[in-house]
Amino acid sequence: MNRVVITGLGVVSPVGCTLEEFWSALVEGRSAIGPFSIARGEQGSTRIAAQVSRFDAESRFESRKLGLLDRFAQFALSAARDAVRDSGLEITERLTLETATVIGNSSGGQTTVDDSYFKLYGEKSPRVHPLTIPRWMTSAAASQISMDLGLKGPAFCVGTACAASTHAIGLAFHMLRAGLAPVAVTGGTEACLTLGSIKSWEALRVLSQDNCRPFSRTRSGLVLGEGAAVLVLEERAHALARGARVYAEILGFGMSADAGDITASDPDGAVRAMRAALKDAKRNVQDVDYVNAHGTGTMQNDRSETTALRTVFGPEAGRIAVSSSKAVLGHGLGAAGALEMAATALALSEQVIPPTANFEEVDPECDLDVVPNIARQARIRVAMSNSFAFGGLNAVLLASRA
Amino acid sequence: MEAIAEEVRQIISRELEIPLESLAPDTALKDLGVESLDLIEIIFALEDKFDISIPYNANEAAAAKGALAKAGLGKLETVAEIAAAVKGLVDAKISA
Repeated sequence: MNRVVITGLGVVSPVGCTLEEFWSALVEGRSAIGPFSIARGEQGSTRIAAQVSRFDAESRFESRKLGLLDRFAQFALSAARDAVRDSGLEITERLTLETATVIGNSSGGQTTVDDSYFKLYGEKSPRVHPLTIPRWMTSAAASQISMDLGLKGPAFCVGTACAASTHAIGLAFHMLRAGLAPVAVTGGTEACLTLGSIKSWEALRVLSQDNCRPFSRTRSGLVLGEGAAVLVLEERAHALARGARVYAEILGFGMSADAGDITASDPDGAVRAMRAALKDAKRNVQDVDYVNAHGTGTMQNDRSETTALRTVFGPEAGRIAVSSSKAVLGHGLGAAGALEMAATALALSEQVIPPTANFEEVDPECDLDVVPNIARQARIRVAMSNSFAFGGLNAVLLASRA
Repeated sequence: MEAIAEEVRQIISRELEIPLESLAPDTALKDLGVESLDLIEIIFALEDKFDISIPYNANEAAAAKGALAKAGLGKLETVAEIAAAVKGLVDAKISA
C-alpha cells in the first residue's frame, strides 16, 4: 500500500484566493460573513452570507472559455490551477494519462439554473442559452479541470451534499494508496448563492439571520458560503523523489450512513465514520490532537457532533482541540470539506490550531475545548476533519504532520 | 380567534395525517412525535393559508431571544400556542 501526501493546495474562498489570505483569516478568526449581492436578491429575506467577493473571473479566464464556465466551475478550475502550480509538479506525458481528477459538488451550476429559469418563467423567453447544460451539470467542474490540465486518468464528481468534497478527497486517497494512480487533483467546489437556492435554504428554517457561531450557546444556525479548494495528492515516494514540499500525509478515510433522518444528524453515524477513519489509518484516539469539526452552527449539528466526539474519544475528549472553520468561511456545502481539509493540512504544517471564531458563550451541551476565538500554537501529530451531510452521509479524513 | 384556532387545528391534523379529535388546545406537538421537518411543513401550510410569514428558525426554538420573541410571538409548542401566533400575525396584517 502506498503512502499518500498533500503536496499542493489551491483555494477560492470568501476570505481570499491565496493561501496566505485564507490561512491568516482562519488563524485571526476574521469572518467573511456579511452582506452579499446576487441577482434578484431583493426577493430573499436572508441578508448575510460568506460570499467570494475578490474573484476576478475575467482576468483568470479568456472570454471564450468563460462562456462555458458556471461560477462553480470557475472556482474549481482556478483552485486546481493554483494547487498544481503550488505543488511544483510537472504534468509529464505519463502523469497526463494516470492522474486522477475527483471533485465534490452539491448543487451544480446554480447561477446558470437560476438565470435560465428566470428567463423562461420571469421574462417569458422561449429559449435558454445553448451552453446551459454543459455549464450546469454537476460533473462540469471535474470535466473542466481534466480538460484544462490535460488529465486523462480516472475522473469523476461526487455529490454527497455537505460531505461531497470530503468523500472526493477520501476516494482519491484510497485510489492512490491502492496504486490506481500516482497523483490526484481532488477537492470540491460550490457556488449556490442564488435567489432560488437561498429561498430553498430559508424554507428549511436553518439559516441564521445574524452570524455563524459554532458550538456557542448563542448560535442561531448556519450561514451559506461558497468557494472551492483543490489538493494535489501524491504517492509519498513520488513526491519525495522530486523533492516536493509536503503539507501533510493523509492516513485514513472513513464513511458511514445514518440511515435515519433526512436532515437531522445522528451521533451514531458520525461515531462510526470517525472510528472507520481511525481504523483505516491504523491509529487510535491517543494519536489525535486536533479535530476540524463539521461545526455548522445549528443547534442540532453541534450538539450531535459533540456527543459523537465524546463517544469516540472517551476520556481523551477533554484533551483534544476542536474547532470549526465555518464561522470564518460560512458553510461551503460541497466545497466545505475541501476548504476544511486545506485548513487542516495548513494547521498540521504550521503547527497552529485555527480557532472557532465568533464564539460568545459556552454551551453545556458542547462542552469540548472548541478553541474559542484565539488561535493556538500546539503540537499536532494527527488531525481529523469531519463532514456530516444532510441525508446522513458521513465522511471523515485523518492526516498527520509530514 | 375561534375560527382561526379551528382552521389551525384542521391544518395541523391534515399535515400530520392524524384525527382532529387527537388535537386539544394544550396538546404538545412533541408528544405526538412531531419532528422539526413536520413542524416546518405545518408552518409552511399556515403561512400559505393565512398569507402570513412566521419568523421561525429551527435553531432558536428554545431561545428566548429568537426571531419569534422579537416579533412579539410566543412558543410554537402546543396547538393553542400555534393558533395564538397565527392570530397575532393575522391581526398585525389587518391593522397594517
